Amino acid sequence: MTSLRVYIITRALLTIPMIFILLTLVFVIMRILPGNPVLAIVGMKATPELIESLEKQLGLDKPWWVQYIDYISNLLRGDLGRSMIWGRRPVIAEIMDRFPATVELTIGGFIVSVILGLVTGVIAGVKPGGKIDATMRIYSIVVYTLFIPLIGMILQYIFGVQLKLFPVGGRIDPLVTPEHITGLYVLDAILTLNFPALISALKHLVLPSFTLGLVLSGVYTRLVRSSLIEVLSQDFIRACRSRGLSERVILYKHALKNALVPILTMMGLQFALLLAGAVLTETTFSWPGMGTFLMERIAYRDFTTVQGTIVFYAVFVALISLVVDVVYAYVDPRIRY
Amino acid sequence: MRRRGVSKTAAIVAAIVVIIIIIAGVWYYTSQQPTPISSPTGPVYADTIVIGTTDRVSDLDPASAYDFFTWEVLSNIGMGPFVYEPKTLELKPGIIESYEVKENGKVYILHLRKDLKFADGSPCTAETLKWSIDRVAKIEGDPSWFVLDFVESTEVIDDYTLKITLQNPISFFPAILAVPTYFPVSPNAYPFDEISPDNTAGSVGPYMITKWVRDQQLVLEANPHFFGEPPKTPKVVIKFYSTSTALRMALESGEIDIAWRTLSPTDIEALKGKGEFTVYEAPSSYIRYIVFNTNIPPLDNPLVRKALAAALNRQEIVEKVFLGTAEPLYSLVPNGMWSHIDIFKDKYGDGNLELAKQLLKQAGYSEENKLKVELWYTPEHYGDTEADVAALIKEAWEATGMVEVTVKSAEWSTYLQYTREGSLMITLYGWYPDYLDPDDYLYPFLHTGSNRWLGNPYSDPEMDELLDQAQVEMDQSKRETLYKQVQEKLAEDVPIVPIFQGKLYLVAKKNVHGIVLDQLMLLRYYLIYKEVSTAEAILPLDSIVATVMNMLIMVPVSVIERIKVN
Repeated sequence: MTSLRVYIITRALLTIPMIFILLTLVFVIMRILPGNPVLAIVGMKATPELIESLEKQLGLDKPWWVQYIDYISNLLRGDLGRSMIWGRRPVIAEIMDRFPATVELTIGGFIVSVILGLVTGVIAGVKPGGKIDATMRIYSIVVYTLFIPLIGMILQYIFGVQLKLFPVGGRIDPLVTPEHITGLYVLDAILTLNFPALISALKHLVLPSFTLGLVLSGVYTRLVRSSLIEVLSQDFIRACRSRGLSERVILYKHALKNALVPILTMMGLQFALLLAGAVLTETTFSWPGMGTFLMERIAYRDFTTVQGTIVFYAVFVALISLVVDVVYAYVDPRIRY
Repeated sequence: MRRRGVSKTAAIVAAIVVIIIIIAGVWYYTSQQPTPISSPTGPVYADTIVIGTTDRVSDLDPASAYDFFTWEVLSNIGMGPFVYEPKTLELKPGIIESYEVKENGKVYILHLRKDLKFADGSPCTAETLKWSIDRVAKIEGDPSWFVLDFVESTEVIDDYTLKITLQNPISFFPAILAVPTYFPVSPNAYPFDEISPDNTAGSVGPYMITKWVRDQQLVLEANPHFFGEPPKTPKVVIKFYSTSTALRMALESGEIDIAWRTLSPTDIEALKGKGEFTVYEAPSSYIRYIVFNTNIPPLDNPLVRKALAAALNRQEIVEKVFLGTAEPLYSLVPNGMWSHIDIFKDKYGDGNLELAKQLLKQAGYSEENKLKVELWYTPEHYGDTEADVAALIKEAWEATGMVEVTVKSAEWSTYLQYTREGSLMITLYGWYPDYLDPDDYLYPFLHTGSNRWLGNPYSDPEMDELLDQAQVEMDQSKRETLYKQVQEKLAEDVPIVPIFQGKLYLVAKKNVHGIVLDQLMLLRYYLIYKEVSTAEAILPLDSIVATVMNMLIMVPVSVIERIKVN
C-alpha cells in the first residue's frame, strides 16, 4: 500500500471520532438550551394533551441518554431521523432540498473569490512596495471587513432596483425551472439544454456569488501576493531571467504556478468558510439554502434536523479538506506522506 | 509572411447565418408564447400574476397546516362547506348547496353540491368529505382540535348528504366548517393516517398546484374541474423572500407584481410615496395584548392591574413604533367585529396617568415605595419592533413616577415554556384568530382551564358561566349581549389588557386589480387580475438570448442526430 493511500485511510478514520464528538456536543447543547421543541412547533394554542402526545411521538418523553443512544444507533444505520416540525419529513430529504442551493452559491462565491484574489494578488505581488501594491493591500483589508447584508443590499439596489439587470432574490424564475437531476440549477439547465433556465439561474447567481466572493477574496489577495513575492525572489526565477525569458513568461509560466501551491490548502479551508458565509448571503438574497434552513430549525429547537445537518456538514467539510490534501500532494512533488 | 485572415465572403455568410438564426429564434419564441387574455375591444389581461411573500408554506395538507400563509394557499386550491363572502365576511355555502341545523344546534346536515370534482377529475362526495374529516381526527395534527373538540360523529346519509353530530351545540359551527381543516381531500392522493406535507394533489378549489419546490417556488394554475367561476388570472406564481427589505426591492425591481405579508412599517411608508404602486390598507383581525399573571404578587391586586391599564399609552405605541400601521385596541374583541365595545377606553382612557397614580396610591404605592414589576417579551416572533413596544410600555408605566419596570426577553420556545409554567409576571402576546367569532377572542383567554397556555393567569366562575352560555346560544342578539357583559367584566378584572390591532398592508403595481383585503386575512388569488399594455408585450431580452442559444446548439444537434439515423 502506498503511503498516500495510508494517509487517506487514516484521515478518513480520524473523521469518525471528530464527527462523534461534534454530534455529542450538539446533542448536549440543544438540550441544555431552554425551550421545548413541541411548544415551538404547536405554538401557544396547543392543548396539554396534544403536547403530551407529540412529546411521546417524538421520543422526547424518554430520558436524554436513551434519546442519545437511539439517535446514535439510528445514525450508524445511516438514518438521520425525521424532522420534528411540520410534516416530520426525513432529515435527509430536508437537507437534499436545500443543500444543492448552498453548493451552487458556494461554488459561485468560490470562483469569484479566487478570480478576484488572484488578479489583485498578482497585481500587488509583481511590484511589491509600490502604490498599486498598497492599494491592493488596502482592498484586501476593506473587502474582508465588509458586512455581507450591507454590501448585498447595495448591490441589490444598484443592479436590481435601479438597473434591473439582476434579480434581487431567489434561485430561478419558477416558470423555467429545469428538470431535477442534481438540484444545481445551472448544471441541470446545461444537462437538459434548457437555455431559458440556464440564463435565469445564472442571472440569479450573479449578485449573491459576487457578494460572497468579494468579501472572501481579500484572503486570497494577501496569500497570492506574499506567495508570489517569495517565489519571485527564488534562484530559479533569477536563472529564468538570466536565460532571457520575458517577464510575462516568468510570471505566468514559472512563478505563478509555484506560488499557487500553498494557496490550494487555503482553498479547502475557505470552502468551509464560504459555507458559513453563505448563511448571511442566503438571508440577504432569499437564497433557499442550508444557512437559512439551519438558523430556522435552531429557533424551532428541531433537534434531529439540527443534529443531522451538522453531521452532514462535518462529513462534507472533512471530505473537501481530504480531497484538497490529496490534490496538494499531487500538485507539489515535494510533499510525500 | 502573408497574414492569414477570414475572407470577406466567409464573414458575410457568417453574418447572414447569425441574422437568420436570430430571426428564426425570435419567430420560434413568439410562436411558443401564450396569447394574453383579451377581448376584441377590451383591455388585455396578463395570464400570470407574481406574488412575493416573506411567509412560508408549512404542510400542504389540511390535516396538519395551521398557519396563515398555508391556509391562504389551501383556500385558493380548496374549499370547505362554508366560505366567507369577500369584504362583508358573511358566511355562505361553499361546497354545499344547503344545510340544516337540528336538535338545537347539535346536528348539522350538509347537502353537498353534485358537481364537485378534484383537480384530477375524480368526484368529491359526502363519503369523501367524511373521510377527510375522519382523517384529521385520526392524524391528530396541530389543527385537529377543530374536529376533536367539537365533532362527536360523522355519518353519510347518501352520496351528497353528510350528517355531523356535535359533542355539544355550538352556535358558531359554520365558522369552524369554513377553516381549511374541513376541506375535502382525495383518498386517491392522501394517506388516511399520515401527514402528506408536500402533496400537490389539491382539493376542489379554483386553482391547482402545478409546481412546488419547498421554500423556493409555488405555481398555481386554474383548476379545470372547479365548479365555480374560473379565476381571473389563470396562473399565479408565489416567490419567497427572506426579509421585508428583499420583498420591497423585488417589487421595486419589477420581479413581483404584489408584495404581500409582510412589509415593515418603514417599507410601507417608503412605497406609499412612489407613484407606480398602490398601497392597500385594511383592518386585520390580528391583536396584541398584555397578560398579567394574577397569581404572582403584586399583580394579584386588581388595583395594580387597573393602574397599569390606565397608564398604558396605546396611541404612542401605534404612532412611534408602527408609524400608524396599527390602531389602538380597547377590547379583546377586535374593532369592526360584532359585539366589540371600547371598554378599556371608556373605563381607563389612554395614557391616563392621573387615574393610574390614584389607583397606585390606593394600592399602597408611592414615589418612595415604587411598584416593581417584570415585563417580558420575545424578540423575534412578533417582529423586530417588539423591543420598542416593550420600551414604550415601560416608559408609560414609569411616567407615573410610582412604578419601576424591569424589561426581560426570552427566545420564543423558551418564552412559551416559561409562560405555560406560570413563572412570568407580565408578558406580551399576539393572537391570530382561528375562526371569525368573538368566542375565539374571549374563551381561550378568560375561561378557566382554556388559558392554560398562558399559565392559568385568571379564573372566575361568573366569567366561565357567561362564556359557556354564549357558546351554545343560537340567537345572535343574545350572544352579543353576553359578549358585551364578558368585555365589561374583563375591563373590571383586568387579567389582560389589549394594546393594538394590526392593519393589513399589500402593495401592488398600479395595473393590478381585484385585490380584496378583509379580516379573514387570506388573499383570494382568484379575484386578482393584471392589465398589461402593449409595451409589456415586447419580448424580454432574456428569452431572445435563450432562444438564440437554443437554436445555435439544438439545430446542429438535431442535424447530427438525423445524419446518424439516416
